Formats: sequence, structure tokens, C-alpha cells
Amino acid sequence: MSDHCEAPAEAPREGASQTPTLVLVGRPNAGKSSLYNRITGGDARVGNFPGITVDVLEAPLDHEGRALRVVDLPGLYALAANGDDAETDEGVARRFLDNLAHEKTPTVLVQVMDATCPALGLRLTRDLLARGTPLVVIATQSDVLAAQGRSLDVEALRKALGVDVRVVSARDPDAKPTVLSAALAALDGAPPPRARSFDPDALGREVLRDAPRVDDEALAARARTERIDRWALHPTLGPLLFVLLMGGLFSAVFLVADPASNLVDAAVQALINVVGRRLGDGALRSFVVDGVLGGAGTVLIFLPQIVVLTVAMELLDASGYLARGVFLVDRLFRRAGLSGRAFVPLLTGHACAVPAIAATRIIRDPRERLTAVLVVPLMTCSARIPTYALLLSAFFASRGAWFRAMVFVALYVFGIASGFVASAMLRRSRTRGRTLPLLLEMPRYHAPDARVVARAGWRAAGRFVRDVGTTILAASALLWALLNVPMPAAFDHAGDTHTMPPAVARVHHSVAAGLGRALEPVTRIAGFDWRINVGLMGSFGARELMVGTLGVITGLEDVEDDDGALATRLREIRRDDGTRAYSTATGLALMAFFVIACQCMSTVAAVQRETRSWRWAGFTLVWTYAVGFALAVLTYQTARALGL
Amino acid sequence: MNPDTLGALPPGGRGVIASLELPSQERAWVDALGLSPGRSVTVLRRGAFRGPLHVRVDSGAELAVDAELASHVRLAAGAP
Repeated sequence: MSDHCEAPAEAPREGASQTPTLVLVGRPNAGKSSLYNRITGGDARVGNFPGITVDVLEAPLDHEGRALRVVDLPGLYALAANGDDAETDEGVARRFLDNLAHEKTPTVLVQVMDATCPALGLRLTRDLLARGTPLVVIATQSDVLAAQGRSLDVEALRKALGVDVRVVSARDPDAKPTVLSAALAALDGAPPPRARSFDPDALGREVLRDAPRVDDEALAARARTERIDRWALHPTLGPLLFVLLMGGLFSAVFLVADPASNLVDAAVQALINVVGRRLGDGALRSFVVDGVLGGAGTVLIFLPQIVVLTVAMELLDASGYLARGVFLVDRLFRRAGLSGRAFVPLLTGHACAVPAIAATRIIRDPRERLTAVLVVPLMTCSARIPTYALLLSAFFASRGAWFRAMVFVALYVFGIASGFVASAMLRRSRTRGRTLPLLLEMPRYHAPDARVVARAGWRAAGRFVRDVGTTILAASALLWALLNVPMPAAFDHAGDTHTMPPAVARVHHSVAAGLGRALEPVTRIAGFDWRINVGLMGSFGARELMVGTLGVITGLEDVEDDDGALATRLREIRRDDGTRAYSTATGLALMAFFVIACQCMSTVAAVQRETRSWRWAGFTLVWTYAVGFALAVLTYQTARALGL
Repeated sequence: MNPDTLGALPPGGRGVIASLELPSQERAWVDALGLSPGRSVTVLRRGAFRGPLHVRVDSGAELAVDAELASHVRLAAGAP
């Protein structure tokens, strides 16, 4: 998959832009990202897990004719370094604030504070005031506070802090003008008093007023969370529910999306038929039907799987269950040298490794974080889904959907197990060290906002279609060309193809086939022939290309008939002696290779970016390919011995 | 396990934090998260296989606290 991360904002530099900058700062889960989205109309990820923002996000803004820059920092508990290194989410925020202190850009800090729990936020306020930068405090969750029958004594808080304090709800459209006017007034006014001495706990108690009425809604919300937790965190049932939930999530990707995929498949095949008939015979038809539609079009079929996975993950995140997942797996993860915090990046890695690698910043220990970065690529990301789904349809077609769904789940489990083994080995060697103890806020359960979930699904669909329309389309077109350009005679070892139809013979004598054939002496022991080798070369940069590549090759070879689905065509590929080229053993070997091999340049780049080391990026590429291939050989030979 | 620590409290048990016996940097972090001296804590449950504790602080916050970390949170003697 391509890079999904929002570009991190540049840390301010000496003499940087003079555009006034509003920096949203606050504790994790205080509601910064919701407020950022409200102010900028942006699309920052909003979750119900502490530390969901791991990058510095920024957006330009025009307010009443004044150009502004709005920055959303990752969550921050305190300004003291507290032992974590600069690469954690807190470290990123802290470094940004430190750099701000050196630059000339007019800046105002907008501290976002959870109004329901002011004492905790006021610790950070005390640290921020000591910097002398203009500051305004925005207390969020005013709707929750009101529902609890409580109120914040804003005037007392203003007086104690010496800075402006406003109460908003990020859901309220008026939040934007309220925040901007307060921030600009602070920016244009006198700097705040530096040395304010106050006890956050005492002040927090003083300004939070309890109204006399008992709020049923708040009590009900708390009771609801307690009721759910009684089951979700039960010592026996909790882990069982967790396993069922994860298994359900991954099998839903297959079972729920499969019917939709069949519809898309039928639509692509219908388009291929219509376009094929219109264009008649010739090179243009071959390029459009076999190259473009056979390659990129075939990958598009897996769009429903990507969307279902994204929506399911978003539901988990928004509900507040992620923190419960951390609680449940912490003990287990320690066996692999990780803490429960690693659960979030490893789970995110099942959608895409690139944002998951950025999400490792919620892990405070640098060696544990490095370990997580290196094992995230082993999680079954959505880019593997097209290949898995194709291989399951091709080699397990006679089995029921449930059997294929179980194999699908087994592939996920295999990916997770490999990650655990790799992590345990790393933690006993290169990343040896203590795992920091777990301390994590447990948010209340929320009913996920349907719009936020739908938007995440829509974004994932858009990214996938964009990838198909750009990278995969270009690669399919290039591959079509390489399958049509003849290999120079001196390097052509295709043998006698006189008995083949001319179109098939041309493919066999092509540059791509020649390159694939050159690898056959090595890959044959894993059951891979030149076609699969071409697919593997094609999928070096992105895994989805495997399916596209096989689509182009089988289309050009006219395997069975042009109208057949790729899975059918794959089964029908024959060797020169007429026997089937691929068996179930080949399919299993390919799956084994795909579980381990890091066929994704965006992931390798993300590893380099996060570790600041090409050595670790190269290490990830080399060991995953070597172990992946060894596993493919082992799988193929074992399966053959078992007669599969 | 020291009987006067958070780690020794059974589910449903309550105590008042007396001190955090941790290196200064870790102490500051734990304190910033709201687990600070003077705060009253209630253990809601303990995770499976000697997993983390789920605690509620009198500020209203709920936290997952590793068992090892909890054994360094000393409680005031005789507190409820």
C-alpha cells in the first residue's frame, strides 16, 4: 500500500514563516484532534485511545482576513522529559515546543483541557505558563460536564492562571470562532505572567462545581462502562471474548466482503467483455484488456475487503475497546519482550504497516519501540488480502466459504505468531533490555460516530482506488510491455514454442518471461515457475501487484478463456507436457512467502524514517525475504510429500 | 509482595497513595498521569494471569497499572 500517513509538520526553525501559529497542546484523549478538525475542517484521526495522534499535524487557516497556521501536537502529560526519548509521541510534541522557543514566529499555545478532570490538565498548564509563551486554555467536553450536572468556574480559573479560559464543545460549530478569537487576543495582548504558583489538585477541586442534581445520564454512562468491562475484562471470559472478537474481525473481512467482491468481479469482467468486443483484435485490445483491465482491474476486485477491514478497525478504536485490548494482552506480550502498548501498532498493522510504524511512538521505551517497528511488517496488512483471496479461490475452490475463511484467519494467526517469535528473538539479542511497566488511561466506552467510521471507510476506499489507478495501473502497463518485447536471442532460453499459438509463444520469448525463467533454478524448489517469479518481481514494490501481474500474464497467454476469473485461469495453466503447472502445494508455498516477505517499499521507507537508519530498513528487507523463501520451500516440499 | 502497596490490594480494595517508590523520571510520569500521593485509589479488577490492575482514582480517571509498577506505589497505613 502506499504511504497513508499525513505528512508530519516541519518543526519550526529559526527565521521560519511569520504566519501566526496556534499550537494545540494537551493531554492525550483531551479532545485536541476533535477541536483541530472543528477549527480547520480537517480530517485528523480521532480515536478513543490515549495517544492516537502520533504526528504533528498542521493546516493553514484564514480567519477574518488574517492568515494563520494551526498545529495539532501529539498528547503530552508534562513538559519534563520523564525518561522517554525524543521519538515517542510525547517526545515529538516536546521537541516541537522546544524548537518554538527558539524561533521568531508569533505563537500562541492553545491548551486543550478535559473540563471534567481539570486537576490533571492543570499540571501541564503550570509547565506551559513557565515558558512565557502566550497561552489560552480551552476546556472541552462541556457537553459531558453539563450532562454530569457540573460546571467549571471559568472566572476563578482565569483569575488563578492569569490567562483567558473558555469552555467549548468540539461538536458545537461556535467552538471555532470562540477558540480563534481567544487565541488571537492572547497573541496580540501582553505575555502571560510566568511565575504562577498553584496546586493543580487544589485548584482543580476549587473550580469544578458540583450542581445539586444527580445526573442520570452520566451515571448511566458510567454504569454502562462498568457493565461492559465486567464481561470484557473478566479474568476468564475477557481473554476468550478478545480472541473471538479478533477472529470475528478477520474472518468478517473474508465472509462479509466476499459477496461484494464477486459483484465487483462480475462488473470488471463485463467491462472487459464490452471493451474487448469494441476494440476487436490487435495490440490496442491486448493492451487495454490484458494489460490495463487484466492487471489493475483485477486488483480493484478486492476493494470491499479493504473497506470492511478499515471499518471494523475504526469501530474497535472509536468504541474504546483498544485500551481494553492493551489491558488483556499486556501479560502475553511480555513473553515476547513487548508491553501491551505494542498491541495498538500491531493491530493497526493489519490495515497498513506504514501508519502502524508511526503508531509505535506510543511505546515509551526506545528498544521496545524499535522491536515493534521491526515486527509490524509481519502483521497481515490489507495489501496481502488480494493475493490470499486469489490463492484461496484458486486452490481451495472445492471447499466451502467457511473453510476458506478459517484458512484466512490462520494466515493472520501465522503472521502474528511470526511477529512474536521475531520479537522474542530480537529482545534477547539486538534490542535486549527492560520492558517499561504499563500505565494507561482507560477511556469510557462510546458509541462510535457513524460519520467518522464511514469517513474512514471512504478514505480507505479512495486510497485503494488511487493506488490501483496510479502505481498498479502503471506497473501493469509496464509489465504488459515487458511481456510483449522479445528477449534478445542470446539470452532467450524459452525452448521450442512452435506448437504454441503465436500469442502464447510471444509471451514465452518476452523479456519478462526471460527474467522469470532466469530465477527458476532457485525458485523451483518452492514450486515457483517463471510466471510466479515475474509476479514476485512485480510485487517487490507493492504486494497487490502480484495479482495484477498474474492477471496480465494469464490474459496474454489466453489461459482457458479470456472471460474466466483469474482464479480459474490460474488453475488451468499447463506445463509444456500438458500437466497442471500449479497445485495446492504451490498455493500454500506462495502464502507462506507472502506471510513473511516485506514486499512493500513504503514500509521499508517507514522503517528507515522511524529508525533513522538504512541498516534497519535493509535488515527488514533481507531477513523477511530470506526467511519467507525458506518457509515457502519447506511448505512446498512438505505439502508435496503429503500428496497435496 | 509488600502488603502496604497498591499491588497487594485485592479487587474492591481501596487505599490512599502515600508515595511513589520509583526513579525520579518515572515518578514524574506516573504522577502526571494522575497516580499521585494523596489520591485515593480503588482496585476494580486484576487482569488474567497476574496481568495489570484496573484502578479508579478519585479524580474519576481509570487506569491500567502494571502489577510491577503497582508494587512500587506505597499506600498510607490505616487508610480506608
